[in-house]
Parts: sequence; C-alpha cells; structure tokens
Amino acid sequence: MAAIRRSGGVVAFHWQGKLRDPAHEAFAEALEKRRFRTIENAASEEVSIGWVTPRDPTGDSFALEDLDGGTGTWLRVRIDKKVLPKKWLQIHRDAAEKARGKKLSARERRELKDDLTEKLLPRVLPTINLVDALLFHERRLVMLFSTSKSVVEAFGKLFFESFSLPLERGNPLRCGLLADLSADEKHNLEGAEPVRWTDHVEGGRHPRLRPVQHEPQHAEQFPQQYQDGEQQQEAGA
Amino acid sequence: MNRATQGSETHGFLGEEFLTWVWFRWETDGGEFTLSGGRVVGVALDDFLAFAAPSEDETEQTLRRGLPTRAAPARTALRQGQRLKRARLLIAEGSRQWSATLDAPTMTLNGVKLPEDAEECESEQDRTADRTGNWLQLHEIVQALYARFLKERLRPDYLETIAEQQARWMAS
Repeated sequence: MAAIRRSGGVVAFHWQGKLRDPAHEAFAEALEKRRFRTIENAASEEVSIGWVTPRDPTGDSFALEDLDGGTGTWLRVRIDKKVLPKKWLQIHRDAAEKARGKKLSARERRELKDDLTEKLLPRVLPTINLVDALLFHERRLVMLFSTSKSVVEAFGKLFFESFSLPLERGNPLRCGLLADLSADEKHNLEGAEPVRWTDHVEGGRHPRLRPVQHEPQHAEQFPQQYQDGEQQQEAGA
Repeated sequence: MNRATQGSETHGFLGEEFLTWVWFRWETDGGEFTLSGGRVVGVALDDFLAFAAPSEDETEQTLRRGLPTRAAPARTALRQGQRLKRARLLIAEGSRQWSATLDAPTMTLNGVKLPEDAEECESEQDRTADRTGNWLQLHEIVQALYARFLKERLRPDYLETIAEQQARWMAS
C-alpha cells in the first residue's frame, strides 16, 4: 500500500457532536454500512459513492489497521461514474434522423437517449475516483484531499449518512469561531465589516481608512460614507 | 444561503484581509510569527498573487512567477486599496517547509507541497504517519496565523492603530 499523498489541494471540515472513536470497531462498522458497491455491471446506475480502505479498493473489508494514518485516521472514498459517451448518442441520433428523413422531436430525442442508456450503460466501464481524507478525532477535523465541488458535496453527504453528523466546511467565519478568541472577540467577528483601504494619496497624504457598511463590491469607489463635515475638512486640509 | 458557503459569502473579506495582513507583516516585521504556545514560524509570499476584483464588474488581477510582490502592478493594486484573494505561501518551521496557495475567502489550501519525508521513514506506513503529521501541522499553522490576525483585527482600536500602519505600508 502506497503512502498517503504529500501534495495537492485540501478542504478542511469540522463537526460538532460525538463521533464514534476511530479506534473502535463501531467506527469501521459505520463505514462498512456505507461501503462502496460496484456498478461495473449495472444497467442503470450511473454513479456509486461509498467508503473503501486505502488497502482494499473494493469496499469488501474494513480492518481497523487499514485506516491507520498515524496521528489521524485515513479514510478513502471511491466514486465510480458511468457516463454514456456523447458521441455514441450523437451517432445513434443522426442515424435515426437519417432513417426518418427529419429531425427528432425533443420527446423522441429523450426516448432515444433513455433507450440507449438502458442498452449501452451495462457495457460502459465506470471511471474510478479514489479520494482520501484524514480524520483527526480529537480535533473534530477532517481534511479532504479534493477541492472539487461535486466531491466535496458527495463527501459531506456520505459522512452524514455514515455518522449522522453534518460537516461544516472551514471558512473565515467558522475558522474564527473555532480559534482561541474571547467571547467579545467572537461577537465582534460575527458582526465584522470589511475595512476599506481608500485610494487617496495625493499631496503626500497617507490614505485614510474607514470601515464600510457593505461589501466593497457593492460600495462606491470613493468614500461616500464620509460625513459632509469630514469631507470638507479633508478637502481643505 | 447554503450553510456550507455562508461563512465564505458573509466573511470572505476577512480571509482576504488576513492574506493582505500576512504580506504586510512579512514586509514590515520580517515574516517571523510567534503563534500561540510560543510556536515560531516563518511565512513569506511566493510566486503567485491574485487580487480580489474591486467590484463585480472589474477584472481580477493575477501575477505569477518571479517576485510578484515587488512588481509594479502589485504595488499599484495595494495603493488602490485592493485585497489579496489568493497567494502562494511559503511556510517554514524548524527544518520543515511547506508551500501552498491559500484561497482566502474559503480558506482552502491548493497546490500544497509538504516537507520532504523524514529521513528515518523506512516504510510506507512510516511515510504515511510522517505526512499525516505534516498535513495537520500545516492546517494548524494556518489556523494559528489566522487567529493571530483576528486578535489584531478585532481590537476595538484596530482602525486607529494597526490598520493605520497597514495603510501607510500599502501606500508606500
């Protein structure tokens, strides 16, 4: 078994509540309940997502030692996807239209696609995506080694289905609330407004700073929030 | 608003202010940060910077390769009060060095490179344990650095003190 990766993108998640201890069998059992199931021969299923282990990509075994990632627990999700090749669809559509001598209606195109999906999907081999994550139980932290939106969403859903705990993705607010800040600081964090770094350096003056009430994207380019008196005072300075 | 994206949408600006603050501190204080617990790390901006678009209609400015922090367009962007949205960071602690691109509004790390595996790693299991530790350390360093920024940013006198210093640096 190869070692865990040492490069790439990573998304951090946190959870609240009690998660089963990864050192106990109950944790592996929870993974096993949502294990990966193959769609290699499936006729209709286009996507399959489930847990496997770094040692066994089939999802058939969940030995605790296979999840050992040192200070963390090494999780692996397998995402298989069957996609009907678009060119096949186009070829069949062109043939059908040629045979009929006219374009297919939207309903006929949909029916053709459904029919082809049923016939061809069992013959299509799925693409396989193995995505790793490291879980740090005491820190209530999971680091997912993918920044793809669809993978991030699929992982969050699978985690919830397995442990009944929603994952919260790290962001400037969440990270701040988890940081070692006082209650006052956290209160101020929630109500924080962007600092506007104004662009007034003419005449050797230092730029002035003003907090703004809205995101800069929605604010005017120049500091309209100055009080009239202040503006006049500055203009005269 | 989707709960997953809520903090990025409402407080994404804080991530951008954080990244700009790292640049400010790096240039004015030398890039050595003492974090909680006495941990000392060195942080520098590397070869990739992206400034947040000043408004929805304007173009996001990206600078790559060389020393973008010294490039004239970067200094101009600072003088115009623009914030960094993404930047490649070099982070060092002792003999270990990480590099990663921080997407500030989401606090996502892209293109991470961990330190070289420790010499004493003899098996794949050893390497996994070593790398796991390095992934966690990187996360904790970024979080601690962000917490340090917030300690300054959330001070009641922030605008009159540190923000004023930063403004002078941005205008320089």
